[in-house]
Amino acid sequence: MKMWMKGLRGPLTAGVVALASLGWSGVASAASQVHVAFGDIATVESLNFLIALERAKERGVDVKVTFFKSEDVASQAVVGGDADVGVGTPYALIQKVNAPIRLFYQMSALRFFPIVNTEFYQDWKDLDGQEVAVHARGSGTEAIMKLMAQKNGITFSNISYVPGAEVRAGALLQGNVKASIVDSTNKNLLEQKAPGKFKVLPVEGVNASDEALYANTEFLTENAEAVQILVEELLKTWREINADPKVVADLRKKYNLLPDLPAELEGEVVPYFEESVPTGMFPNNGGSEQAAKDDFAFYALAGQIEGDPATLKVEDFWTFEPLNKALAKVGTQ
Amino acid sequence: MDARLEDPVAAQMAAQPGEAAHSRRQNLWWRLASIALFFGAWEIAGRVPINLAFPTFSATVAAFFEMVGDGTMLKAYGLTLQPLIVGIVLSAVIGVSTGVAMGLRKSVEWMVAPVFIVLQAAPVAAVIPMVTFVYGIGLTAKVISVCLLALPVIVLNSYKAVANVNPSLVAMCRSFLGSPWQQIVKIILPDASPVIFAGLRLGIGAGFVGIILAELLITPTGIGDLITYHRAVANYAHMYAAIASIIAFSALTLSGLQWVEENWVRPEKRGS
Repeated sequence: MKMWMKGLRGPLTAGVVALASLGWSGVASAASQVHVAFGDIATVESLNFLIALERAKERGVDVKVTFFKSEDVASQAVVGGDADVGVGTPYALIQKVNAPIRLFYQMSALRFFPIVNTEFYQDWKDLDGQEVAVHARGSGTEAIMKLMAQKNGITFSNISYVPGAEVRAGALLQGNVKASIVDSTNKNLLEQKAPGKFKVLPVEGVNASDEALYANTEFLTENAEAVQILVEELLKTWREINADPKVVADLRKKYNLLPDLPAELEGEVVPYFEESVPTGMFPNNGGSEQAAKDDFAFYALAGQIEGDPATLKVEDFWTFEPLNKALAKVGTQ
Repeated sequence: MDARLEDPVAAQMAAQPGEAAHSRRQNLWWRLASIALFFGAWEIAGRVPINLAFPTFSATVAAFFEMVGDGTMLKAYGLTLQPLIVGIVLSAVIGVSTGVAMGLRKSVEWMVAPVFIVLQAAPVAAVIPMVTFVYGIGLTAKVISVCLLALPVIVLNSYKAVANVNPSLVAMCRSFLGSPWQQIVKIILPDASPVIFAGLRLGIGAGFVGIILAELLITPTGIGDLITYHRAVANYAHMYAAIASIIAFSALTLSGLQWVEENWVRPEKRGS
């Protein structure tokens, strides 16, 4: 018997140690600062957000940003308590595992550009029975392509998955991919590198959030003041940029943001915002119930949300308290 | 009375098969207990839960059978195995022949050894994205990723095996006027085969790492796609099922290879 106990001691200890170490990751970090988890690297496209964060810092909110490899990892950081505020659209996470997080600010609407090699295709009808490349299964890019196929009464022979708009742009240039969907930066890059070789196909009726802010419900109630300041600065910055996109270049200099940006990318700052602002990419009022419902419909099509989108309740995914308080202060436009 | 049992040595020898069987049974029980303990801990950790994204063992098993049932798992393995098998066969053929050539000829050793020693030490996950710049995003890039991980282990093991062949056996072959070809085929390769096989097993293990890295870092296909997709849509039980299945598949493949080696290729190793 003693031998038996002795033999079991090793595995038992190992099991307890393993469980303890697994459990350790669940311990929430102290909310002495607002730790933002960004699911991408900082680029020209995130300058507006970085400016708003700098302004929140000026008003005494201690903001720290960590850039993660993907939105999934960023959302795990928020759920696990390693970060306070995340950037992304974690609808699946909220619905499927009942994560106690709520979205509270719509930063940008989804704007992607289906693009084809004009040597082979000219419009949506030409893509009937053809292969297209999108970012990933269940991604927004796939949902847009599926939605547009539905609207144009066509079907793709195959959807291949090539993560990264820059990788898809490279594949388009090399000729490995003939039809894909890219973001505005890569659309411009393709138009510059091979003028006339590619054509952007029209997209209509796609209303969905690309990036939104979310946080643990506990964090939102305990740090209501800091969150409100952050939302106010986001609203003010977004409105300033929507009124004059050129201001981004000056604000970037003022706050010394992305100081290592290469000269060629520096020239893209103003054009990016000048092009994006008229498309309504940056909402003036930080989202609404209607925007949330549009997201349900879109992300259900993308396969992120399960069930009939019409039956989903906005309050199960969003909280508008911080936004409404901030709007009461800065006004609605 | 059986005369053999009167002799203590004979009696001990007669008792040995029974003891061996008992020891094997005991070993099996300990292994099963270890597996049960692990899965039990997993189930408890999932029920606590230690993290919202951490599913229970039972949910993971259910997700696994769901994916087997609807055919997604089979389809995923079909896609993952293509580059894996091509990569491993290439690595085995090129790796063993290069390694043997390195062991036999100093000039080949000097020319090739540094490349594989550096490759073996390199954090290959950092190199794989570079593969896409040269070979694109298709099957070739994935095969290259498998080879990048599998080849160095196979080459270096084969090389060491041949370089460390018992010199007295080689001298014996020479004194019996064996030709250089006989020396290689009848003495060097049989004597080196245990280490070459160990290298092949390690290489196949590394090949599994290579294909999953490629499927996660280049384009999500097969098992890599199941992992990425189910993570993106928060189906964590399915994600864990895909991960656990590839780990189990890799472990079973390596055990199967060992069994083949012991029973068919080198039966003298059995029971050692």
